[in-house]
Amino acid sequence: MLNLACLVPIFPLIGSIINGFFGLRIGKNAVGMVACGSVALSFLTVLLMFASLLFTPAEERMFEQVLFTWMAAGDFSVDFGFQIDPLSMVMMLVVTGVGFLIHVYSIGYMHEEYSYYRYFAYLNLFMFSMLLLVMGNNFLVMFIGWEGVGVCSYFLIGYYFEKKSACDAGVKAFVVNRVGDFAFLLAIMYIFNIFGTIDFSDVMHMAPEKLIFGAEPVTIITLLLFIGATGKSAQIPLYTWLPDAMEGPTPVSALIHAATMVTAGVYMVVRCSVLFEMAPLIMLTVAFIGGATALMAATIGMTQYDIKRVLAYSTVSQIGYMFLACGVGAYTAAIFHLVTHAFFKACLFLGSGSVIHGIHGEQDMRKMGGLKEHQPITYITFLISTFAIAGIFPLSGFFSKDEILYHALMDGNIILWGMGATGALLTAFYMFRLVFMTFWGESRVDPHVHPHESPKVMTLPLMILAGLATVGGLLGIPLVHGWHALHNWLEPVLHFDLAATLEHSRHMLHAQGEHPASWAHLLIETEHNVWVEIALMLLSLGIAITGIVGAYFCYVKNPDLPGKFIKGQWGYELVKNKYGVDELYDATIVKPTVVGSFFLWKTADQKGIDGGVNAVANVIGWFSVQARVFQSGFVRNYALFMVMGFLVLLILMF
Amino acid sequence: MELLIFYPLAGFCVLMGLGVIISSSPINSALSLIAMMMGLAGVFVLQQAHFLAILQIIVYAGAIMVLFMFVIMLLNLKSAEEDTWSIRPQNTYVSVLTGFLALGALYKIACVISQAKLDSPAAVPDDFGTVVRVGTTLFTDFVLPFEVASILLLAAMVGAVVLAKNKID
Amino acid sequence: MEHIPAPAIDFISLAPALILSVFGMLVLLMDLFAGKNKNLLVFASLVGLVLAGVSAFAPKALPVVSFGGSYVVDHLSVFFTLIFVFSSALTILLSIEYNPRNGIRAGEYYALILFCTVGMILLASATDLIMIFLGIEVVSICLYVLAGIKRGDVKSNEAALKYFLLGAFATGFLVYGMTLLYGATGTTKLAGIAEVIHSGQTNSDTLLLLGTVLLIIGFGFKVASVPFHMWAPDVYEGAPSPVTAFMAVGPKAAALVAFYRVFATAIPEIGTTWDTLLMVVAVATMVIGNFGAIVQTNIKRLLAYSSISHVGYLLIAIIARNSLGGSAIAYYMMAYAFMIFGTFGIVILLGEKNSENLEIKNYAGLGVKQPAIALCMTVFMLSLGGMPPFAGFIAKFYIFGAAIKEGYVVLVVIAVLNSVVSLYYYLKIVVLMYMKDSERELELSMGPITLAVVAIAVFGTIEMGLFPDPILQLTQ
Repeated sequence: MLNLACLVPIFPLIGSIINGFFGLRIGKNAVGMVACGSVALSFLTVLLMFASLLFTPAEERMFEQVLFTWMAAGDFSVDFGFQIDPLSMVMMLVVTGVGFLIHVYSIGYMHEEYSYYRYFAYLNLFMFSMLLLVMGNNFLVMFIGWEGVGVCSYFLIGYYFEKKSACDAGVKAFVVNRVGDFAFLLAIMYIFNIFGTIDFSDVMHMAPEKLIFGAEPVTIITLLLFIGATGKSAQIPLYTWLPDAMEGPTPVSALIHAATMVTAGVYMVVRCSVLFEMAPLIMLTVAFIGGATALMAATIGMTQYDIKRVLAYSTVSQIGYMFLACGVGAYTAAIFHLVTHAFFKACLFLGSGSVIHGIHGEQDMRKMGGLKEHQPITYITFLISTFAIAGIFPLSGFFSKDEILYHALMDGNIILWGMGATGALLTAFYMFRLVFMTFWGESRVDPHVHPHESPKVMTLPLMILAGLATVGGLLGIPLVHGWHALHNWLEPVLHFDLAATLEHSRHMLHAQGEHPASWAHLLIETEHNVWVEIALMLLSLGIAITGIVGAYFCYVKNPDLPGKFIKGQWGYELVKNKYGVDELYDATIVKPTVVGSFFLWKTADQKGIDGGVNAVANVIGWFSVQARVFQSGFVRNYALFMVMGFLVLLILMF
Repeated sequence: MELLIFYPLAGFCVLMGLGVIISSSPINSALSLIAMMMGLAGVFVLQQAHFLAILQIIVYAGAIMVLFMFVIMLLNLKSAEEDTWSIRPQNTYVSVLTGFLALGALYKIACVISQAKLDSPAAVPDDFGTVVRVGTTLFTDFVLPFEVASILLLAAMVGAVVLAKNKID
Repeated sequence: MEHIPAPAIDFISLAPALILSVFGMLVLLMDLFAGKNKNLLVFASLVGLVLAGVSAFAPKALPVVSFGGSYVVDHLSVFFTLIFVFSSALTILLSIEYNPRNGIRAGEYYALILFCTVGMILLASATDLIMIFLGIEVVSICLYVLAGIKRGDVKSNEAALKYFLLGAFATGFLVYGMTLLYGATGTTKLAGIAEVIHSGQTNSDTLLLLGTVLLIIGFGFKVASVPFHMWAPDVYEGAPSPVTAFMAVGPKAAALVAFYRVFATAIPEIGTTWDTLLMVVAVATMVIGNFGAIVQTNIKRLLAYSSISHVGYLLIAIIARNSLGGSAIAYYMMAYAFMIFGTFGIVILLGEKNSENLEIKNYAGLGVKQPAIALCMTVFMLSLGGMPPFAGFIAKFYIFGAAIKEGYVVLVVIAVLNSVVSLYYYLKIVVLMYMKDSERELELSMGPITLAVVAIAVFGTIEMGLFPDPILQLTQ
């Protein structure tokens, strides 16, 4: 049954090809059928495989399907294959399941678009790439998927290409992502250099034998991997692209920028958990970056008025929680939160899409209000998901977030827990701020617009997702050992023998004639403390309720209070302007690159005055004067440069 | 004894080479070139390569350079490119910089060479540089380059015709 | 009277070069009778190229060394022969529709391409400095003429003249370098040079090093690496588009393989002396190529700078000087051939009767009007930028892998950073195509043969990215 693995990504690929090439001819209905049908087929296949995996003994839940030898040169050989194990299975279920619902929703949402087929072709292509990413059995296949989702994301963000902001956002997302990808690629090469293979299972098996705990190689590898993850998963310092990415159609935001693609970084870290476990320094970095992102994005989320941007910052913040979990070694908690987040965040995004659809494209929350009468289904599903993300018992977010906070305190330290808990307070606050501003109170909608509920094809996915957001917590029931279904399921993948690894590292260090510091304190197991957990649960429930009540007080009871409060506060301005990070990047990286490239090109090359230069000539007039030195275009100048090059090389040589 | 002939000959070659570059009229340049070829032929003789020396004179100085002179006289070339290049002050800077670089490079090489000691020259076989030896080498060891040279010449000829034809078809 | 012993001539290993020489002359003769209709010439040239490509597989047990060690047929040379034959064939196919439209009528055009291919094939197999020199000269002389074959066009003439003058200048460096190498080791055979260096019996190390520097300059000019690259943008812009594509692939590949053979097989032992120089050159080439490309507005100049930057990546494979590097160059150039011919096919498709539409702003709105062509262009651009799953990614991955294996980590980091920068300008074209509206209507020529070339190129770019292994096995 698991041999069906290769079919899973192929279905969306076929769908994409059909829609891309014949989309205009076969008509809108057929396009929608093909797109959703292909993903549905994938989902069914994944379900079949899941069932089959469920009935294999836990130790044997690891299946590799090698399709062909991708490339082989000398001692370097890479297969193109898939790896089906509990971890990739969870991801496949989420990707195809949530992906299918969002495809269905898109039929309704995008119905008025002319290039409907183009949209679905990209969306199917995205599904294909995403499945490659999660199913690949080695780093290179994962990297292909990694880049593929980046390209699809770029095209989908820039889908409304009439809007300049959409184009810019697309390019920004692409370029920022490339910075992360570059680190990822280097990590792959470094891994190959050390292990001689880039196959996941081989690398993870060999890691404890080939690497020394906490030494330089493993630290560099994991650092590079983590930089790659921060790019794709929008963490500090590479998070700036995600809020801008909201220029794309809303279902795209739900699928790519909330439920699946942006969590790829978390998946990658969990996939390489063995390596990360061996680099305590990087683990700490991961935890702190995650915590800081969770907190910072939440503060920005409180100040935004664009409904989708609030959700975008919320996504950044929630992924921060996942990295926080990874950083303290609670990989199960990270995946757990990834799954529940996929449910409730997809529901929230689709709900916001339904709102935007209902009031004809308005995204500013100051021009909404009182929508709960007009859009009851959207309202109820949205409210459920908001309770889930705020962490209200017994909805899914409560369990997953609570598990992260528990591990942050027990396996990490109080600072990490504090960041997480404060973030939780802010999350509850800004999410209910959003609900109150959008659905409650007086209607501030443009009087010419008549809000209406969305069609069934859109509300049905909302209801299913809200249902999942409600019951998703059952995957990981805390307190009682053995009831945590997800933990048991992932156990074989995440198994890591720290004691043996340390022992081995010690031997290797001895062989090199060095004596390691004592690692004994690392081996002390923290006891699972039920009472601490219960106390923390109650505390976080209290935090969530405080946040909600705070929001109710500020936005329903005294709607003018926030306005008075923020007036003249420089802190508020700072947060509202996203801490000026965009401007900072612009001033320190983007501008110097552009100016620098002009400078380089002009001083080093001749024909300086092409069309593009004139525009910049004013900015860097001085440079252009200097540039004329070299722009004669005379053959003799070229020859002179050759001679100069020759002389420089000569001097270097001797 | 050898050095006594070599240095004047080499000095003559360098002088004539400079003459090719410096003289402003094309005719003088070409004449300097011929003189330099002659000087080189002398160096060849000194190296026991008599046959090559004669070839040098017959082929280069004799045939090719005469052709050069014909072309120059027929076309009546003036100094073609207006010399705006050297007037530009910036180019002077760049040239001076290049000059300094060249001095630096020469100095470094001189340092290295002065420390290195050259082996005494290997003994030259009796038939070195004779017609027979050159011919044998050309038609055995270097038969392929010899044949490829014909392709090179053919291509060059075709190219020259293409570029020089006044009207195509 | 002494008899010269008749040397053994291995006709089988020479077959591709011989066949193409014969067809080249045949085409010249046929041109006399063909009149205005050049189709016959095209047909004959293509037949010659196909025959040459097939005959490249004739030698049975590789490698075959002939002519006293100055000519070798090994996997590398066979593969490069295929690249050359393939790129020449595509050039001719692209010319069929381009040439009449742009007033190129000379029948010698095809003969020159064939002669140039002969030179490239000889270059790929040459293991003797004199053969390498002759090969380079055959290639260069044909290119000088091809660059200027658009007689009525000032830019084309200027390109040819510049290329010729600078090329002659660079040849001086090359020959002098070879002479010094000969002087230092007493042989022109690459294997012989390696042997002499290995046994430590060089006449003078100074001469050897000096010769190496001069060779770097000579080859550096032919492959257009910084600071010997300045001719490239002017010549690429001025030359007819099919010739530009040809220059960017075939001759560059030929010069690279000779570069690789000399540096990785003749003088690898003194590698620690020259790898610093090549690293400086490679880094400068990547940086100036990429940053130069960012500000270009003419597509051919942009591609010229991009091609310079690609040379920077390729030099890394030479610096690595292992066998993986050799096959990495081969793979890269094959992939590059597909991408470049595809791109130039589209550049030619965009041309009109009176204007070639070479400004990149002409590409605005192509995504709406010609979705298929825009999609192809996107594939080429992403592949050139090194995005998976296209051929360009695998090619770069190999080169970087070869360098990492030898421990050149910093160099690879710089190269990968550069490839990130390069995406910026490749993406600029994609953005223009999909996300801007065009300023005026273009009348695309849509020649069927050019379209076919683009289709082949797209297929190759994707195929070599998804299934690189068969091609890779050929290079080893």
